[in-house]
Amino acid sequence: MSAPAQIIVEDVRHHYRPAVGREVLALENVSLQVREREFLALLGPSGCGKSTLLYLIGGFLPIETGKVLVDGRPVAGPGPDRGIVFQNFALFPWKTVRKNVLYGLERQAMRREEREARAQAFIDLVGLTGFEESYPSQLSGGMKQRTAIARTLAFDPHMLLMDEPFGALDAQTRSLMQGELLAIWEKTRKTVIFVTHDVHEAVYLAGRVAVMSARPGRIKTIVDTRFDKADPEVRRTKAFVDKVDEVWNLVRDEAVKALEKRP
Amino acid sequence: MTAAMRRVAWGAARLAPIVALLAAWEIFARSGAVTPFMLPALSAVAERIYDDALDGELFINIGVTLYRALAGFAIAAVGGVVLGAAMARNAVARWFFDPIISVGFPMPKIAFLPVVILWLGLYDVPKITMVVLDAIFPVVTATIAGIAGVEKELLWSARNMGAKDRELLWQVLLPAALPQILTGLQVALPIALIVVVVTEMQMGGYGLGGAMMQASRFANSRGVFAGIVEIAVIGYALVAVMAALRRRLLGWHQEAQEGAGV
Amino acid sequence: MMTYPLFKLLIRHAPLLILAMAWEAASRLHLVSPLALPPLTDVARAWFELVQSGELLSNGLSSLYRAGAGLALAIMAGGALGIFMASSRPVNAMLGPLVELFYPMPKSALIPVTVLWLGFGDGSKILLIFLGCMLPVTIGAYNGARGSDRHLIWSARSMGARRLRMVWDVVVPSALPELLNGVRTALALSFILLVSSELIVARQGFGYLIGYLGANGSYEAMFAVVLTVAFTGFLADRVYQAVVARVLRWRE
Repeated sequence: MSAPAQIIVEDVRHHYRPAVGREVLALENVSLQVREREFLALLGPSGCGKSTLLYLIGGFLPIETGKVLVDGRPVAGPGPDRGIVFQNFALFPWKTVRKNVLYGLERQAMRREEREARAQAFIDLVGLTGFEESYPSQLSGGMKQRTAIARTLAFDPHMLLMDEPFGALDAQTRSLMQGELLAIWEKTRKTVIFVTHDVHEAVYLAGRVAVMSARPGRIKTIVDTRFDKADPEVRRTKAFVDKVDEVWNLVRDEAVKALEKRP
Repeated sequence: MTAAMRRVAWGAARLAPIVALLAAWEIFARSGAVTPFMLPALSAVAERIYDDALDGELFINIGVTLYRALAGFAIAAVGGVVLGAAMARNAVARWFFDPIISVGFPMPKIAFLPVVILWLGLYDVPKITMVVLDAIFPVVTATIAGIAGVEKELLWSARNMGAKDRELLWQVLLPAALPQILTGLQVALPIALIVVVVTEMQMGGYGLGGAMMQASRFANSRGVFAGIVEIAVIGYALVAVMAALRRRLLGWHQEAQEGAGV
Repeated sequence: MMTYPLFKLLIRHAPLLILAMAWEAASRLHLVSPLALPPLTDVARAWFELVQSGELLSNGLSSLYRAGAGLALAIMAGGALGIFMASSRPVNAMLGPLVELFYPMPKSALIPVTVLWLGFGDGSKILLIFLGCMLPVTIGAYNGARGSDRHLIWSARSMGARRLRMVWDVVVPSALPELLNGVRTALALSFILLVSSELIVARQGFGYLIGYLGANGSYEAMFAVVLTVAFTGFLADRVYQAVVARVLRWRE
């Protein structure tokens, strides 16, 4: 591992400042390194600040203390090098699927035919062929999320930041989408930082799982979760089940702490 | 029943009470229970409208009233959205205009009509100004609410894809706020009509309000009722047009809102 | 130091003070003609004179009586109508289209006809406000009653509540927020209709006073009454909102 990590987070602290009430320490001295093409999960109980950390990397929140470096440069704001996918899809409801996917592409120097072809390619990749002219209000949750993923992949970001993207979907759709995401990742091999509170999901999708403590969040442990994901029965192997247990135990103490704390 | 038949039946069911009302009007007026002065027969009123249409009076009055109402509405619409957007995005603008909007909204601004006449004279300008004064408030509050209500993830996604500030306003904020802005406009349009009619009644001259006041002065009850019918039809038509416009513009929107919940 | 909440209130309304000062300055410095815009201090003086002479009060009471009576009638009739429509399918089918038809009609169009029927006095104004303000209340009551939780109604029914009693115990309280919102609209509308009709056809009242003073050239006094009316409307709305908040909280 001679090349420096693609994303370096060093001693980051962050306060959450609501409009009314006192400020709360959300993240406390978080340090993390993510390698290129790695699939890393940020796992922790509610309120542990995992989304906050993602937003800091994404440049949506200002950095108070500490450093966040992406590709060697400090983060100064949002940009197309770090593509984000949100839990509530954040699709433009007044645009069709195609127009949504095209939005990111329109901001890049590309000829019209190239843009259209690229958009179509990604719509096909996520399995939404035939729905190009549909509006988000006509789509199911799973389809909306696929549109969001297509939209983010289309403008070729260096990495994907995913904030509990399957949290709003029902259990069956979520399971299907996990498989699809892995398939897409195999094909495109981007760096992914995936925020979730679901242990099973984290262990299945990620190569490494960073377990966070309850608020104020720190990185508690990082667990290696590489498995042969090509094996369709991998989730039933003993190694996998043991790993889920191991991670769950790490998370459980934090989850209890989070429950006991005042909201 | 096929879908088409069902739609016709539905339309007929909604029309029936109105037809019944009109019939009741005619019968009651002719029955002698009230004088023709108090309640002229529908047929007499219709005749009066027809006469007005024949000699052109009707169209001049409608045209003048509509011009004033729509001009004022257009200015209030554009000005209201601009002001609302400025207030939603700029803290100084919000601080300065918030009490003005908040205090001004529930005021019967029609009370300022004599002042406006004092300043602006007697023709179209004071009337249009009055309309703008009244109609701008619902547009401003609706715009502020609409823009403030845009979910932050939408804005973040757009910025993530490289959108600059200027682009954010036109490409994301305004389209996302459009449903609420349109609701504000749908409230403002009837207000515009009410205000125009009142100013015309006060100041006289051409226009549906002026004509009605004239008829009232001459104790011409047919003219007064004709005016009511004309204004009612115009009002209804404007609201229907706005509703259709809303459906057109917001085809993508999940809820098809159309104003009154009846 | 002033108490913090009071300080915040002052900061929030400071732009109004700035406007008031700008008014005074513009007028005194002749930036605008003091005939068209008399200095605010002169307007204030005229206001006191009107209060002392009793003119403001007598006209004001006349106006408030008319608006109050018309509004009270509108609330009772409109509320009853709305609830009635919400609880009976056939009534709704009959009256619904009519309400939809009359709602967009500018109520100011009724001014000449009420004058035709009842002349220049109180009667025509009360009738105007009654007719004009009824529909917002009806719609508020209707929407509120329709939103009544079905489960609440079923529970009440199963506990043996008879129809009318149930309406009173269950439907009305849950309909209250929407109904009160409709009344708020009617309140604002009542002021508009009151002032409109008094500006055009009256021998008494705020609107009449404004017109009379304007025709006389007493512009300071005219401005004083205009501002009085405007602020009365504003205060009425604020007081109403406070009362509503109290009522709704007491219900929780």
